[in-house]
Amino acid sequence: MLRLALKSLLAHKIRFALTAGTIVLGVTFVVAAFVTADSLRSTFDEIGVDINTGKDFTVRGALGFGEIANAPPIPDNLTAGIRAVEGVEVAEGRFFVDGVIPVDGSGEAVSTLGGPLAGVNWLEDESLSQYFLIAGQWPQGSSQFAIGAETFADYDFELGQDYQVVTPTGPRTFTLTGTMQFGFPESAGAGVVFSVFDTATAQEVLGYEGLFNEIDLRAVPGADLEEVRSRIEAALPAGTEVISSEEAAEEFGDFFEFIIGPLQTILLTFAFVVLFVSTFIISNTFNIVLGQRVCELSLLRALGATPRQVRRSVLIESLVIGLAASAAGIGLGMLGALGLGALFDAFGASLPDGPMPLRPRTVAWAFAVGVGFTVIASLVPAVKASRVSPVAGLQESNGDDGGHLRLWRPIVGAALAAVGLVLTGRGLFADFDSTTAQLLSLGVGAAVVFVAVAVLSPLIAGPVVSALAGPLPRLLRTPGRLARDNAARSPRRTAATAVALTIGLALVAMVLVVGQSLKDTFSDSLSSALRADYIISAETFSGVPKTLAEDLRGAGAGTVVGLDQDVVQILSPVAPDRIEQTEVTVTDLAAIGEIANLDVTEGSLSAIDPDSALLVNHDRAAEWGLSVGDPVELMLVSGETLSVTVGAVFTETQQPFWGEWLIDQSLHQQTVAADAFEQWVAVKGTGAEPETTQALLEQVLSDYPQANLEDRQQFQESAESNLNTVLALVNVFLLFALVVALVGIVNTLTLSVFERTHEIGLLRAVGMTRRQLRRVIRWEAATIALYGAIVGVALGLAFGVALSVAIPDEVIDRVSVPGVQMVGLVAVAVAFGLLAAIFPSYRAGRMNVLEAIATD
Amino acid sequence: MTASPAQALATAARAVAASKIYGSGDTEVRALDAIDVDFEQGRFTAIMGPSGSGKSTLMHCMAGLDTVTSGQVIIGDTDLTTLSEKDLTLLRRDNVGFVFQAYNLVPTLTAIENITLPMDLAGSAGDTAWIDEVVGATGLTDRVKHRPNELSGGQQQRVAVARALAGRPQIIFADEPTGNVDSNTAGEILGFMRSAVDQMGQTIVMVTHDPVAASYADRVVFLVDGKIVDELADPTPQTIRDHMTRLGA
Repeated sequence: MLRLALKSLLAHKIRFALTAGTIVLGVTFVVAAFVTADSLRSTFDEIGVDINTGKDFTVRGALGFGEIANAPPIPDNLTAGIRAVEGVEVAEGRFFVDGVIPVDGSGEAVSTLGGPLAGVNWLEDESLSQYFLIAGQWPQGSSQFAIGAETFADYDFELGQDYQVVTPTGPRTFTLTGTMQFGFPESAGAGVVFSVFDTATAQEVLGYEGLFNEIDLRAVPGADLEEVRSRIEAALPAGTEVISSEEAAEEFGDFFEFIIGPLQTILLTFAFVVLFVSTFIISNTFNIVLGQRVCELSLLRALGATPRQVRRSVLIESLVIGLAASAAGIGLGMLGALGLGALFDAFGASLPDGPMPLRPRTVAWAFAVGVGFTVIASLVPAVKASRVSPVAGLQESNGDDGGHLRLWRPIVGAALAAVGLVLTGRGLFADFDSTTAQLLSLGVGAAVVFVAVAVLSPLIAGPVVSALAGPLPRLLRTPGRLARDNAARSPRRTAATAVALTIGLALVAMVLVVGQSLKDTFSDSLSSALRADYIISAETFSGVPKTLAEDLRGAGAGTVVGLDQDVVQILSPVAPDRIEQTEVTVTDLAAIGEIANLDVTEGSLSAIDPDSALLVNHDRAAEWGLSVGDPVELMLVSGETLSVTVGAVFTETQQPFWGEWLIDQSLHQQTVAADAFEQWVAVKGTGAEPETTQALLEQVLSDYPQANLEDRQQFQESAESNLNTVLALVNVFLLFALVVALVGIVNTLTLSVFERTHEIGLLRAVGMTRRQLRRVIRWEAATIALYGAIVGVALGLAFGVALSVAIPDEVIDRVSVPGVQMVGLVAVAVAFGLLAAIFPSYRAGRMNVLEAIATD
Repeated sequence: MTASPAQALATAARAVAASKIYGSGDTEVRALDAIDVDFEQGRFTAIMGPSGSGKSTLMHCMAGLDTVTSGQVIIGDTDLTTLSEKDLTLLRRDNVGFVFQAYNLVPTLTAIENITLPMDLAGSAGDTAWIDEVVGATGLTDRVKHRPNELSGGQQQRVAVARALAGRPQIIFADEPTGNVDSNTAGEILGFMRSAVDQMGQTIVMVTHDPVAASYADRVVFLVDGKIVDELADPTPQTIRDHMTRLGA
């Protein structure tokens, strides 16, 4: 049976390639996803190891909760105590502030592609800091600085000259004394821009007076590290901790998992969509092929093969296809990872270059999904094949499976649809403990709905396809007539072919509907909730220095309100069982009413005490049972606690500017968690001419190269354009599912053409030209695609509407359907169909008329 | 029974030194070996010969389904050897009728749609009165809206003959038209073809290996090894069998 299965595969190379092709694409995607994620992991792991060599331990602030990146700073006077510990050879404090920008000799501000703009202090011990002096001298005193050698080479800098550096405490002038590199001397700076100062200057200029992020130390050679560690721990005050360099390196590598993990999950999700769609294509291809091999199978049965042997031969065939496709997919997946890198580049989200590790886990997954999906797809066809009777081959059959729709179809289809809808509904509207469980319920629900559609679709495919292709006979005469009837003659085949397109387009349509609803909600609420005329944001991750708002106020720009977010845990004696980790908006409560329409429903903005007030969104207030005057505790990542009182309850939350909990910046500024940056600055003009205000703002902003000034209109447009980029990226990934659908149409048509050899020969004999024949096949494909597209867009609309309704009103409060895009999708699908017909119609045209009409 | 002398003189189709050679050198096979043959208008000619004699090849080449290696094939005034693939297709559509042994009808089209298929492909309405007459002659007037799978084998072949007749082609080629049906049905179909020649003046060339079928023709041409070896006018099954025996077939 094995030999038979292999021979059968080799004998039909095109069929083999067509079947395997779709699975190859899915496996390629899986491998590319893993390799891309692993490449990022190794890159960060290596950096983690590099930057932690040369030291044994790090002392840092213990985290109250949350991510290590938010670890609070520690007092710099801890250094002396640590140096005094027996066994410590050297200990130095250091810190790092993002958002420090040197401006070169030509006035150009140094920029990075998303990498940090680091302001740091240099350490006496280069091995400990891994900052290596490359040229000149380390800076000394309050007027000197050094920069990274890479920046020095890329921009217009000279040693000994004065340059402006934009710091969190404002722009300052420093003399450039040297260049340096981070990590091993030969390694590049990993995309980081460095501005280096001596420790005292750095603390003053970067807003870190009396503080360090961490104190790094090295033990004397030969010391017992465990003993040294426990001695340090004994010497440290509460709120600090010690970690080894190995732990630090691992932590650094793991830290990026918060972005790499979701990236991998998202890519794998798209890969599974492709594989899911491929399963339908493969199953359909197997079905058609086995239908055409009835003679061969029945001969086998007549010669004594048991149904089990027939079944096994089909399964072996699928196993071999799965293995071959997986192997090919692994090779292509490595290329695919490069392609993904290029794709992210094109969408302005560059990933760092790194090694491309093919881990055993990746290979295992590639084979598991490649073989798994192929074998699953062949189960039903294999069972069908084993039921072929020994005399079936003697009966005339044209391979069509038209009129035999069984009773089980509506029953099973309806049951699946019910299960799918319940799961989807539960995913949308029920409360879940974890987002993962919720997304899983949604995903599985949607998948079951799609299977239900695949089961039910043949029931309606015949009449619907005939109706959709109704105008074809009039437009294209006989070829149109034949195209319509060919598409409608085997509803099961047409439905199975179209379902891949249906799934792909349903997902695209859903994304577009949710995207449009999101855009419309955002632009409407922006115009009602935001009163500011201008929004200033930062090109850098860190935000704009808080000095910017002061400078603008000083220049008389009008009402200037800074807005920032900090992570907190919220507790209240009013609701003792509740604890919530969320973001609190830090702003100017006295002035926020000028730039925002909060729509206060309880209390009053004018009556509150900024030093102790908390403003709460009314939904959360209702959830917590809070009203004006109730006490609330906010715990910061540093472990500090702010005791506040509900001062007002408001209705309008406007992300990304302000959320559901607001406190005053004067209160937050007293804490260790406060830094020198804020995310946004909102400006309400004085009523002067817009040109005057704009000129004034630009004058002040010239000192802040990272600041980006936009009026409301521009802000809305750039927010929409960012969202459009994300939507486009998502749709590019979904495009792969559409490519699989395209291959599916090619498969079906190629096999149908082969099956209709006699019919095509007859048509050609009685005078159908090649052009007319190609037209028949082209429009049959277009009709199948149109059917798949219309079902898909309808399904996608339903999903999109349900999702828009289920998403909280703060984010999406309406359903907007982008009609033109929906029509566009259908048009694109028809174009896909026409494209898919190129190869099969060419083959049909080349078919030898004599062979086609030969009867024996 | 016979057509008038004036019609009998005109030629519907002819082959002049037509050869069809497959392969070359040692493996050369001459399927047709410099054949000269005329098919007169308004007559029913049968081509007979043993398997491999080239009778089907001759028909395919005469009908523009295949091309000759050398020589000429002429239908009416047109030399087929000068035509492009596309012109051959249009010639088949407009000037030639076909009846095959099986797979004669497009399964998605009704009987009447199958009958008018060549005209529909040409985008012409055809001669409606004539088509009605042809359909009437098949005796299937009440079944024209049926699809092929709702018709018997004999009915399907009659529809095929009707399609061949509907466009009033210069010549109809039939390839074993009764090969797949029982002898009663065969008689029906052959009778219908005979009457098409007698009453409608149609020219028909039929390839067959069945002496009874061939006896419906006005003339039988015998092929052996790609050459015409004999002819028989006004044949009967018995005279055909005698000839075949003499030819050692």
